[in-house]
Amino acid sequence: MKVPVWLIKSRGWLLLMVLAALLCTPVLAGAETMKVSMGNQSLYAEPNYSGTPITPVPAGAEVNVVTTSGDWYKVEYQGNTGWMHRGAFAQAQSPQLNLPGMLFGGGVKQTKSDEVALAGKGFTPEVEAGYRQKHPEMNFALVDQVESFKVDSGKLQAFIKEGGLTP
Amino acid sequence: MRRLMMWSMFLALALTLVWGCASMDYASVASIAVKTTVKAVEASRPISDSEEYYIGRAVAARVLGTSRLVQDPQLTLYVNEVGETVARKSPRPNTYKGYHFAVLDSAEPNAFACPGGIIFVTKGLVVMCGNEDELAAVLAHEVAHIANKDGINSISKARWTEVLTTLGTETAKQYAGAGGQLITLFEGSIDDVFKTIVVNGYSRSAEEAADAQAVATLRKAGYDPGALPALLNKMMAKTGAGSSGIFKTHPPTSDRLAKVKTGTPGATPDKMEAVRTKRFQSIKM
Repeated sequence: MKVPVWLIKSRGWLLLMVLAALLCTPVLAGAETMKVSMGNQSLYAEPNYSGTPITPVPAGAEVNVVTTSGDWYKVEYQGNTGWMHRGAFAQAQSPQLNLPGMLFGGGVKQTKSDEVALAGKGFTPEVEAGYRQKHPEMNFALVDQVESFKVDSGKLQAFIKEGGLTP
Repeated sequence: MRRLMMWSMFLALALTLVWGCASMDYASVASIAVKTTVKAVEASRPISDSEEYYIGRAVAARVLGTSRLVQDPQLTLYVNEVGETVARKSPRPNTYKGYHFAVLDSAEPNAFACPGGIIFVTKGLVVMCGNEDELAAVLAHEVAHIANKDGINSISKARWTEVLTTLGTETAKQYAGAGGQLITLFEGSIDDVFKTIVVNGYSRSAEEAADAQAVATLRKAGYDPGALPALLNKMMAKTGAGSSGIFKTHPPTSDRLAKVKTGTPGATPDKMEAVRTKRFQSIKM
């Protein structure tokens, strides 16, 4: 294949690589930082809530994402490395640039294999829905009411302080 | 013109490369790795936090199918404030959807910890607690059952193995094919947990472990750790009154009391305890 003269003369390939590298870097860096939007969050040594938390992470804190495992993000925060659940972040998914979608429109949707999707599934909202249909006598409306009750973070701190308890 | 074409090509190629970098994120790499090992993992994985949550919701729905919920915002807020205060100092300060505390309208003293974080305490047990520290002791004990996964661990191993087998089948990939079987297994799992936390009670070792953890949590939270043995003493005094409710689900044995007392040496009354008791008494029940 004959390489066009103009490409050789302008050292196009080199420029292309440099340009791509420069453009790649900020995109990756941007994808690694996420902002914690929920209060009362912590770093955990393992990707589950069972262990003792390493350190609390306040709402508004920015963490660097190292890797992911299912619904858990391995992050770095103030010199500590640990796991945080995706629920701690407003965006359930990591930010990702969908340039082909912007340039060429659609056709680039990422899909997980059935196996990967099933790895984290078993008893799901769909199973609960089936169970509810089978057992109308179960009072899920009251469960929703119990779960909707939230203690305001500021009020809780005042409650702790008033009672001489440990914050 | 040629220069313009050249830069247009550069830009298009560069953008394509950028997309390649951006889309090959850690999630994609992780998913490829997971895909290759998922079969082995699926065959032995434990119950996930979200599955624990959905089982807990169904157990709570079953409890609320026969018990009334106290609709008193002041009491509900107070119990949640005490509960959150101890939960934050427990070995499991957070769950998939957090802890939620609610009061059941029953005079029979009892408390239930549904897997995932919903904790019920009856009005009868709140009344039996003479002060906030004893209520904190009850809630710290229930949080310990959730932290130790005592409820979720009562699901039979055979049933969970069957869940994993079902998930591994080809039909599970088409939800409609395996949905009915999963619902039946979900139903059985709820029965297992319900029988343990509401009907039969936990094992003696689970109770003692939850007591020890509750004492540690009370101490960390700033509550009087002696509140737990004080409450157990009250319960022991009433053991003759019946063998249902908390006397069946959390039996107050002399062994249990002795172990808790051993775990709380040198507990000194806190001057702020009076403030806490006063606010406990200000709640109308």
